[in-house]
Amino acid sequence: MAASATRAALALQASSSRPVAFVRKIPWTASSSELREHFAQFGHIRKCTVPFDKETGFHRGMGWIHFSSEELQNALQHASHVIDGVKLHVQAQRSKVLQGDQISDEEKDF
Amino acid sequence: MAALLRPARWLLRAGAAPRLPLSLRLLAGGPGRPHAARCQPTARAAPVPGGLLSQARLYAIAAEKKNYLQEESAASQRRSASQFDWALMRLDNSVRRTGRIPKSLLQKVFDNTCHSGCPGGNHALLLLRSCGSLLPELKLSERTELAHRIWDKLQELGTVYDVSHYNALLKVYLQNEHKFSPTDFLAKMEGANIQPNRVTYQRLIAAYCNVGDIEGASKILGFMKTKDLPVTEAVFSALVTGHARAGDMENAENILTVMKEAGIEPGPDTYLALLNVYAEKGDIDHVKQTLEKVEKSDLYLMDRDLLQIIFSFSKAGYPQYVSEILDKIAYERRYIPDAMNLILLLVTEKLEDTALQVLLACPLSKEDGLNDFGSFFLRHCVTMNTPAEKLKDYCKKLKEAKLHTSPLQFTLQCALLANKIDLAKALMKALKEEDFPIRTHYFWPLLVGHQKEKNVQGIVKVLKEMHEMGVNPDQETYVNYVFPSFDSVKSVRAVLQENGCPFESNIFSQAELRSEAISGNLDYVLSFLESNTLPFSFPSLRGTLILGFRRSMNIDLWSKITELLYKDGRYCQEPQGPMEAVGYFLYNLIDSMSDSEVQAKEERLRQYFHQLKEMNVKISENIYRGIRNLLDSYHVPELIKDVHMLVEREKTDSQKTIKASSSDLESTLEKLKAENQPVGDTLKQLILVLCSEENMQKALELKAKYESDMVIGGYAALINLCCRHDNAEEALNLKQEFDRLDSSAVLDTNKYVALVKVLGKHGKLQDAINILKEMKEKDVLIKDTTVLSFFHILNGAALRGETETVKQLHEAIMTLGLMKPTINICSPLVTLYLEKDDLPSALETSIDCYNKYKILPRIHDVLCKLIEKGETDLIQKAMDFVSQEQGEMTMLYDLFFAFLQTGNYKEAKKIIETPGIRARSARLQWFCDRCISSNQVETLEKLVELTQKLFECDRDQLYYNLLKLYKINSDWQRADAAWNKMQEENIIPRAKTLRLLAEILRNNNQEVPFDVPEYEDEKDSLNTPAPSLEEVNLQKDLLSACLRKKSKDAYNIFLKAQKQDVVFDSETYNNLIKLLLIKDSFTQAMQVKNFAETHIKGFTLNDAANSLLIITQVRRDYLKEALTMLKTALDQGQTPSKIAVTRLIQACALKGDLESIQAIQKMVNGLEELIGLSNMVFINNIALAQIKNNNIDVAIENIENMLTSGNQTMETQYFGLAYLFRKVIEEQLDPALEKISIMAERLANQFAVYKPVTDLFLQLVDSGKVDDARALLQRCGAIAEQTPIFVVFFMRSSRRPGKAPILRSLIELIPELIEKEEVYTSIMKSCGVDKDVSSAKALYENLTAKKIKLDDLFLKRYAVLLKNAGEPVPFPEPPESFEFYAKQLKELRETPL
Repeated sequence: MAASATRAALALQASSSRPVAFVRKIPWTASSSELREHFAQFGHIRKCTVPFDKETGFHRGMGWIHFSSEELQNALQHASHVIDGVKLHVQAQRSKVLQGDQISDEEKDF
Repeated sequence: MAALLRPARWLLRAGAAPRLPLSLRLLAGGPGRPHAARCQPTARAAPVPGGLLSQARLYAIAAEKKNYLQEESAASQRRSASQFDWALMRLDNSVRRTGRIPKSLLQKVFDNTCHSGCPGGNHALLLLRSCGSLLPELKLSERTELAHRIWDKLQELGTVYDVSHYNALLKVYLQNEHKFSPTDFLAKMEGANIQPNRVTYQRLIAAYCNVGDIEGASKILGFMKTKDLPVTEAVFSALVTGHARAGDMENAENILTVMKEAGIEPGPDTYLALLNVYAEKGDIDHVKQTLEKVEKSDLYLMDRDLLQIIFSFSKAGYPQYVSEILDKIAYERRYIPDAMNLILLLVTEKLEDTALQVLLACPLSKEDGLNDFGSFFLRHCVTMNTPAEKLKDYCKKLKEAKLHTSPLQFTLQCALLANKIDLAKALMKALKEEDFPIRTHYFWPLLVGHQKEKNVQGIVKVLKEMHEMGVNPDQETYVNYVFPSFDSVKSVRAVLQENGCPFESNIFSQAELRSEAISGNLDYVLSFLESNTLPFSFPSLRGTLILGFRRSMNIDLWSKITELLYKDGRYCQEPQGPMEAVGYFLYNLIDSMSDSEVQAKEERLRQYFHQLKEMNVKISENIYRGIRNLLDSYHVPELIKDVHMLVEREKTDSQKTIKASSSDLESTLEKLKAENQPVGDTLKQLILVLCSEENMQKALELKAKYESDMVIGGYAALINLCCRHDNAEEALNLKQEFDRLDSSAVLDTNKYVALVKVLGKHGKLQDAINILKEMKEKDVLIKDTTVLSFFHILNGAALRGETETVKQLHEAIMTLGLMKPTINICSPLVTLYLEKDDLPSALETSIDCYNKYKILPRIHDVLCKLIEKGETDLIQKAMDFVSQEQGEMTMLYDLFFAFLQTGNYKEAKKIIETPGIRARSARLQWFCDRCISSNQVETLEKLVELTQKLFECDRDQLYYNLLKLYKINSDWQRADAAWNKMQEENIIPRAKTLRLLAEILRNNNQEVPFDVPEYEDEKDSLNTPAPSLEEVNLQKDLLSACLRKKSKDAYNIFLKAQKQDVVFDSETYNNLIKLLLIKDSFTQAMQVKNFAETHIKGFTLNDAANSLLIITQVRRDYLKEALTMLKTALDQGQTPSKIAVTRLIQACALKGDLESIQAIQKMVNGLEELIGLSNMVFINNIALAQIKNNNIDVAIENIENMLTSGNQTMETQYFGLAYLFRKVIEEQLDPALEKISIMAERLANQFAVYKPVTDLFLQLVDSGKVDDARALLQRCGAIAEQTPIFVVFFMRSSRRPGKAPILRSLIELIPELIEKEEVYTSIMKSCGVDKDVSSAKALYENLTAKKIKLDDLFLKRYAVLLKNAGEPVPFPEPPESFEFYAKQLKELRETPL
């Protein structure tokens, strides 16, 4: 736990660009813990969500995996992702546009 | 007669007839058919339900036919597509894909049909026809019930039935084996005044035969004969069935002979009837014999016919013969849907085993293990309550046969969906036996089922089952699926205990905690954490706590809880302890909030951090940085310093290194000071480090101590630091000192904005305004982000209720013209009052803004609030104003949106139904966008609903928006419903809407029930109707191709346009010509030019194109044309470019064409300055031309005269002849070179004019003639003293690659030059450009040996060069960037000390 906390803390530094994998066609038998278990092989996962429909008790087959940094590419490059014998569809979530430039170093002033 | 005519009339109705499915037309056209149409498909009404599988085929044919017709008339008729088409399409699609119609689909189409008012006859027919064998999943009796429901309902709605409808109903009866009285049926028709036709009688005969009533059948047959109606094969087939079912097989077989006698050859239908009756008797021998007989004949039985025999066998209780028939199946292309239908039908009939047998026999490629087959079977078995044991066995077999990879899982899902708990339990056990994990969420659907009825006992039962299965409910289970069924969370524990339902206390407590946290009950959370004895880890609580914190604004409780977690060993046991855990918690807390939430809660968060500080809670540096980045991105950097207080300084390594470097710097600084050396740089560096450490105190002290050594950069950083620390006083002081140091210095935009923000916040309004003024005076760049920052400053102040700040700053920004008045920048003025609930002032302000800037900020929000508060007078006032200023329509829309937003739909409806109101697409779109961005599904749905009858409303666009929102929510059900509503409204969707809808369905694994239009179609249809649009588009395409420098594309577009006789404007042609010239496509450029000249009156190339043309002509050696071109351009008053004129002159010179050069000189006379042409161009080139013409002496004489005569046209130091010299050397005009050299030396020696000889010397070196250069230098030592000329040469050369060796030879020739700063700098630059490490090394050693103090820029260059070559750097590399040192040097040079 300590190690993961440190890693998480390091990940915070790179929080400006948050790599997120969007996963579709998740079999109904799997939930976020199975997804997490599978994708952990590619790197540290900050957050993994598979929203359930509280009206039915089933999820809608979609989930999001927030990776720490480069791991997303590893995951995307992987040939196929299979959970419970079902092939998942994994793609990169389009990131939201960052607002403005926040960089200003004193050197550039003069 | 009238009754007979009706269907004909119906058919003749405009447009309807050709679009009808074939089968329906045949039905409708029945009466007029000629005698004994043998293969008439409708006649193939076999008496057993399975026999009606052929319906599927008919539908398919119909659908294909329809498609064909649609394609044919697609373009013209798309817009007239009707409700009927849609219904037909849906049903057809289903039949085409699966051979059946799901009940839900039929129900949906039926409901829609009812909604649409009075359904047409064709529509009714379609629905009725679907109630038979196309519904294999429904029991026969249910199908008939449905048919009756439809029949009655449509009749109620006013649908007029004709004979075709009665016939359709009869058919459904037959297919469903519905027992009815044919006489009653006829009476009913008679009552309705409908004349039965041949088909009616035929079907009534079949009805009698189905129950073995030969007598009844004969009666009708007799009646037909009296009416002289033809007796078709269908009748005979029915009679076969009739006799057999009456137990008279002999006569049944005899019918075939009778038929032949009557002149009708028995076809497949008759044989099928016979085969079916044999099968019903279990007579496999006769079945086989008959099949053989058919095989030998020229008749052909299809797979679906054989499937019927299978059905007959199994229904009659002879499943043992099924395999023999299966063996005979040919597996035609359309087999699978038919087989699926049979399988479903068998399951419906409780003949699951046979169903599985047929399923397993399906020919499927079994290699691809990912394509499961058989799900439909399993699902239907679950629906039909097939026993669990059987299902488990089926799953096993399907898996063994490799047809399905996870049949048990799938069946379990079906059981859960159907809420069949016992079946689910059995299946889970089976899964467990297979070592497949049983997961908690499998039970959620079951809990949901009970939750809807608040069935506590049911819930308890499921929880017990979970326990039995060894699955423990987790937090989510309790919070989301158990607690909601109870009145209070507290009662759950008791109920569970009472019912003996075991639960894990730990998890249950966490769930309770979460549930309380969700409702913001932090008191509970705190007391729970205090009294809790269970071992909870912090991470497991994090999410819960964040939820709770965000739902409660009690900062004291926030702090107390945080402190408890931090200090209590129970929660922070991990080795790193509370610092990491709490820090990460803080990060997550802020991360989970949106930027506006953080902005709104800024003060509370600050309070929270301060309380934590007092409680001695610390976080690590890493975490702090993460939080800092978050706060920056949320536009609340003011909070950064408050978080920074919490940073633990000692522990982290990175902190130590920074500290070390800051203390190092400090000692260096003191040392330098003691040695009386300049400290400016070190001081600034130290201040920057302190700023990054957020150590304001120290930085300010340092500044005070070394005040006289402060540089501007240091001040800038300090000012920003103080702004971040909310220290307005100090920031202002620093700014004043900064100004005193250099009143012309400009800060960067962000720092000005920070100043304005902090000053405004501290009520120093005048100072803030002064900063704004300075921004204007110094012309500070206002970026988009600056505009946004202005808004945030004003909005922040507005939220804090600082009236004066908002007003004055806004006023200043506007009057200074720092930005244009926008809705955004003015809205804080209104926000101010909205926040205070001072609605009269809010309205007043908005109106005031309108009077001043013609914008009405936040009027929508003002109206919403007014409506909420019921301020009728103010609403009236607002409306009067809007009406008067912006018109009544705008007012109505404002009101409409406000009512919608506030949920007053009735009122909204009244408004939008105001007579005369029209659709305003921009406003509607505005509201749609608003709903989409704030995810207001209901509001948007209402908007769409209420605007249904709005005049000129683009319904498709509104639905498109609605779908966009559904897409965001992945809500395909609603999307599907919207699609249905669109049909209801008879909207013809645009292609993009259909594509969006298809996308939503596909993304959610749903079938797309329509053909998704291709992108091409739309484009074409857009282009064709308006020729002007075509032109515009072509021109746009062309310009865009030009912009992308795609000369070929652009040219092709030109050719296309030429073909279509489309003429663009001159600008476009000029652009194209320029591009073609740049790409050296001269011929094409000329072609375009010619076209433009012949098609546009007075077309001329513009300056730029002309110049390019001249350059191209020169390059291609068309000098005459180029000269003409130049003349034309000048005659037209254009200014040709310097380069074009120079190139032309140079080209002429090389040809020795003196005349042309002189002609040009005359032409441009007086324009030299405008063109930027130096007289030296003429002098050089005239001389060159003369030399080319072998008039060397004339050339030399002219030059000498110019330089020695009293009236010099040009100062000698600018008299550059380098071009002439270079050309002479390049062209190897040796005699000329010799004479020129003599001239240059003479000028130097006799007239002290050193420029020519130095230029010559340099050109010799530059051309590699170092020996000649050395000789020249020896003859004329003064060359070495022409330092300014050398400096210029060095600086120019260093910009070009490959010049390092030349510069080195120069230094070898004149070693003393090296000490010149510009010279060695240039050499190093050149070495850098050429990556010449060895020369650079030599230079560096040379210079250090000479003890020359090298500047940072030089060292930086050298260091980077070495580093890139992988060599060690023998001195500390200057840390800043090139630009920094370059700027520094420039400053140094420009500020003489």
